[in-house]
Amino acid sequence: MKNINFYSRISALAILAFMLGYFPGFAQEATTEEATEEPVKERPARPAFESGLLFDAATTTLQPSKTLEMIIQHRFGTMDNGITDFYGIWAPSNIRLGMNYSILDNLTVGIGATKYNKMEDIQIKYNVLQQTRSNKIPVTVTLYEVIGIDGSADDKFGVNYKFSNRINYFSQIIISRRFNDMFSLQVAPGFTHYNSVDSTMDHDKISISFAGRIKFSPQSSFIIGADIPLRIQGISEHTAEFNKTSTSWNDIYSNICIGYEVSTSTHAFHLYLASGQGILPQENIMFNKNDFFDGGILIGLNITRLWSF
Amino acid sequence: MKLIAIFSTAILFMTLNIAMIQKPGGPWNVPAKYKSMKSTIKAGDASINSTGKELYNKHCKSCHGAKGLGDGPKAANLKTSCGDFSAKAFQDQSDGEIYYQSFVGRDDMPNFEKKIIDEADRWAVVYFMRTLKK
Repeated sequence: MKNINFYSRISALAILAFMLGYFPGFAQEATTEEATEEPVKERPARPAFESGLLFDAATTTLQPSKTLEMIIQHRFGTMDNGITDFYGIWAPSNIRLGMNYSILDNLTVGIGATKYNKMEDIQIKYNVLQQTRSNKIPVTVTLYEVIGIDGSADDKFGVNYKFSNRINYFSQIIISRRFNDMFSLQVAPGFTHYNSVDSTMDHDKISISFAGRIKFSPQSSFIIGADIPLRIQGISEHTAEFNKTSTSWNDIYSNICIGYEVSTSTHAFHLYLASGQGILPQENIMFNKNDFFDGGILIGLNITRLWSF
Repeated sequence: MKLIAIFSTAILFMTLNIAMIQKPGGPWNVPAKYKSMKSTIKAGDASINSTGKELYNKHCKSCHGAKGLGDGPKAANLKTSCGDFSAKAFQDQSDGEIYYQSFVGRDDMPNFEKKIIDEADRWAVVYFMRTLKK
């Protein structure tokens, strides 16, 4: 609970920034088009983010149809042991290899394998609304679903093992806005469900994620993101008294990420500091015990590569 | 024996270097509909130095270089020369010819129609390349 005020302020600021974006003064590309009297053909705005991936989060950016994307995501260990394990570089790390394929311009499917929990995943991303340059549609809205399959040994799931115990889900509505060529922001409420969790935990968790980009050169950007699990007593399976002292309730921290992005025609590279060592979003939202503000920081990097067919 | 080894190495080295010499690209066969193609933006449009420059830097600079001289970091690995966008021969072409070469491509020059989808954005890149004239 100790960071709850901080997260509330961050959330309020992000929502305020989104609201400000609806004012025409911020719609840099709309002004030139509004000056012409002839009816203007709606043009989709350029993508809010360079890649469909930002840290661990999905963005509203989808690649054109028949594009294959290879993804390598790596997280070193936390830095709290200092030089002993070279600030996490020698500590146990997590890695995910993934492939995405764009079936349509607004529909992408993906698969991946992650080291932690031997997790396999299937992902679907569907773009339902595209921001336009005229500002007639001010935001891009994308639906995102991740289904994870935990490949750990059967005994991890208790005595009444069923295959369905391995399954977990993450659903998200991602709303982004490209404010101008430099600045983009997205807000994404999400819902996480694990079929099987420890008895002190809840199966469900609601979260809100933020991501932003400030571009400072044609290919380089400062990027920031946060996945904030919300403690909502109304959906908890446990009493308020139990949760008051439960570490499963109180010691799950936000995954906060700050970093640097370089993008080229076919690649995007991210180098950053993060607190979540999970790579699938549901892993961080459900289990992240690293507090960014209390030494729980690690180095992460992503590499994506595109092929067009 | 030693002399033969040195001589053979020198021959091999020269052969490899000759094989790696870049050839200038042959003449482009640009279809008539592209030759006469008209831009959807006007010269001097604000997007040329914002969108055009940004997209050039993202998609073109690694081969063609920041100033279009064909000296980007990837240029040396190509089979054919990237050419020089600042040269008169390049700048004397019609906008449509530059559009075709830039977005339809051939051989080493990849197709960029799916990477830069918006028509006006493509023309912003073409006009940005016009600004690289000496």
